Amino acid sequence: MKSAVTPFYDDVAIGDELPRLRKGPLTTMHLMRWSAAMENWHRIHYDRTFAVEHDKLPDLLINGSFKQQFVVQLLKDWAGPGGWVWKVGFQFRAMNKVGEALEVWARVKGKREAAGCGLVAFELGIVNEHGAESTPGSAVVALPMRGGPALPYPFVPPAAG
Amino acid sequence: MITDEVRAYIGPWSETEVACDPVEQGAVRRFAQAIMDDDPDYGPDAGAGGRYGGPVAPPLFPNHMMRRAFGTPDPIQDNAGNPDFDGVVPGQGLPAIRPLAHLPVLNGGSEFEFFRHARFGETVTVRQRYADIQEKQTGKGTMILVVIESELRTGAGELLLRARRTLIRRVL
Repeated sequence: MKSAVTPFYDDVAIGDELPRLRKGPLTTMHLMRWSAAMENWHRIHYDRTFAVEHDKLPDLLINGSFKQQFVVQLLKDWAGPGGWVWKVGFQFRAMNKVGEALEVWARVKGKREAAGCGLVAFELGIVNEHGAESTPGSAVVALPMRGGPALPYPFVPPAAG
Repeated sequence: MITDEVRAYIGPWSETEVACDPVEQGAVRRFAQAIMDDDPDYGPDAGAGGRYGGPVAPPLFPNHMMRRAFGTPDPIQDNAGNPDFDGVVPGQGLPAIRPLAHLPVLNGGSEFEFFRHARFGETVTVRQRYADIQEKQTGKGTMILVVIESELRTGAGELLLRARRTLIRRVL
C-alpha cells in the first residue's frame, strides 16, 4: 500500500531494506488477467502446450512485463506522495513459473545530494518462495530533503555530478 | 546469425506513433487491478488539485499503450491456422526483424527513466529504434539480444518516460 508520507532523504541510511512487496501465488488467472489488460497474446503465458512442446519451456512463465510492475510498485509506494521513482532497471535472469509466489525486495546502496533533492540508489530483486533470485536490478528514487523544497513535477533530473 | 541484413535494422528511429486510444479510465482500472495496485491516484476520485492534476495511469501504463487500431489487420485471425505463431505482435512503429522472426522470444529486462504520469484523457506517442543486436553464447545455447530504445510523450510533447528493453531471441 502506498505510504501516506514521503520519507526525507536525510532519514534514509545505506543498508536500509524496504518492506517487501508480496504477490501471489500467481495463477493462470493472474497471468490471463494481465495479458488481457495489456492486450499481449504471447502464448507462453497461457497456452501450456505451446509453451512446453513448441517453445521448450518448463511451464507457463510469469510475464517479465508483469514482474516489472511489482518492482515499480514497491519503490513508488515507499516514496509516497512527495517522492519520485526516477530510474529502474533489471534483468530477467531466471524464469518464474506459474504458481510461484514472488517477493520484491530493495536495499539502499548509496545516497547523493543533488540540486534541491536527494537521490537514493537501490539494489533490488525478485525472489520466489524458495528464495531463488530471478530479477536482479537497481533503481534511483528522488526524495525531498528535510527543510528543502518539494520535488519538481514533472520530474526534472538533476545535473550529473 | 547477425548478418548485414540484421545489422541494417540498428540505428534509425521509427516515425512517431500515436496510441490508438487515449488514457482511458476503464483501461487504467483493468491494468491497476491486474497488477493488484489500488493506488488512489489511479482512481476516478483522485482530485484535480493534487500533485498530478487529476487521476493518472501507473508509471508503466504508457509503455503498453501501442495496441492494434480499430480496422487494422488482425494477426490472431490471420495466424489462426499457423501452429508456429507465438502470439507476439510487433509494435506498429518498428519493423519485425525478418531473419529473426522465427526465433522464440523472451523478455530479457529493461531500464526505465520516469518523468511524469499520463493523466486520464491524454494521448500518448512513442518513437523507438533498435539500439543494438548482439549474438551471445550461453550455457543454454545461442541467444540473440535485441535492444529497443523508446521515448514516450504526451500528445502535447511532454516527456513521460524513456525505456531501453532487451528481447532475447532463442535459437532452439
